[in-house]
Amino acid sequence: MNSLVKQLFAFLILVLVISSCSKDGTEKANATSSTGKGGSLSKFTIVGNFLYAVDNHYLYSYDISNPSNPVRTNTSEINFDIETIYPFNNRLFIGTRTGLYIYSLDIPATPVKVGEAQHARSCDPVVANDSIAFVTLKGNSFCGPAESGLYVHDIRNIFQPLLIKTVAMANPEGLGLQGSYLYICCNNEGLKVFDVSVPANPVEVKTVTGSYFKDVIPYGNQLICYVSTGINLYDISNPSDPVLVKQINN
Amino acid sequence: MKVIMIVFVFFTFSSCWTKVKPVYPNNNYQRVWGNKPIYDVTANAKLISYHNTAEPVLMPGNIYVKDNFIYQLETGKGIHVIDNSIPSQAHRVGFITVNGSSQISIKNNLLYTNSYDDLVVIDISNLNSLTEVKRVPGAFPEGRFNYYYIEPIESGYYECPNYDSVVVGWRKDSIWASCYKN
Repeated sequence: MNSLVKQLFAFLILVLVISSCSKDGTEKANATSSTGKGGSLSKFTIVGNFLYAVDNHYLYSYDISNPSNPVRTNTSEINFDIETIYPFNNRLFIGTRTGLYIYSLDIPATPVKVGEAQHARSCDPVVANDSIAFVTLKGNSFCGPAESGLYVHDIRNIFQPLLIKTVAMANPEGLGLQGSYLYICCNNEGLKVFDVSVPANPVEVKTVTGSYFKDVIPYGNQLICYVSTGINLYDISNPSDPVLVKQINN
Repeated sequence: MKVIMIVFVFFTFSSCWTKVKPVYPNNNYQRVWGNKPIYDVTANAKLISYHNTAEPVLMPGNIYVKDNFIYQLETGKGIHVIDNSIPSQAHRVGFITVNGSSQISIKNNLLYTNSYDDLVVIDISNLNSLTEVKRVPGAFPEGRFNYYYIEPIESGYYECPNYDSVVVGWRKDSIWASCYKN
């Protein structure tokens, strides 16, 4: 009888401990949703209590748990010509003119490089999820000689990103990923919508034309596009078929 | 004899005199018509402010979205604010002046941006009375030599800017052709 009480008591404690864990989990989830969302051409991003910023050469980590006193916790020399930074879960994806770098945020104060994929010289924003990184390379006189297109990397082995598919396209620039849809800004060629439910085989489902597309943010049911004439807003309740809602002119 | 001595001494020291002839700082450069930096007192250039009228978009940059607002950088000048509460009626509502800026990220009601080589934290809970929560000088060292107005927009000769000051614009003038932009 006594041992039964003990077991019950132990069980109760266990339940209490677990419930407090799950509470922590939800609080963390709320904390991350307190940030907004940037375009793929950004050089600033906030993950949890840290601001990560890149300039041409370095990745800077700032602890912003006390916003009135941000403290730099790390400086990493990456390479030349860093262009973009993109966060997903516990990782930072950094696009440079010569390659894609993946940093682990297991210790948020000191990001550590875990993987990289070199590519021909070009401009290259990146978006990613747990298993795939999508990179657009834009080759031209300014960016470099690479063949322009979408480059799909399998990153399930984060230490060794594997190029599994390239889709040639003209003038790709910013891109945005939401669920199984990828939106790619191709300047005058329009905004291309890809179904990437099979990442090794992206299927182009629509091209939105009429503007010079630079960058894009999928934000719930809305697609926010930076175009040369201002900002275009599209409804993506049907993610494969963006519907123009509003043009905000410069 | 005395005269010879004087002449000798004169010659001996004349080599010294030629060395101290005035060196004009830009005497290696030709005088041309080109772009001259417009400087502002650093403290002025770094003032953060908001006004609730739309500004012209001249050098658009990064976009950012949080809740009902869309933000877009005006490279080197600040941040355009767009009210997106009703997407079909989305419109520009104002402009946050942050000279030397090009980046943005927001957490809670705090906007993080760069201003030249500084990191700036701005409380945007109430845009009409926004406050600079913190400025971290020298947070991004490259920003001191690499910000939008460090070069004129057009190509050609320009006067190399002084890195100890803040360039807020360019104007045409007669200059020493010390820098060139392709």
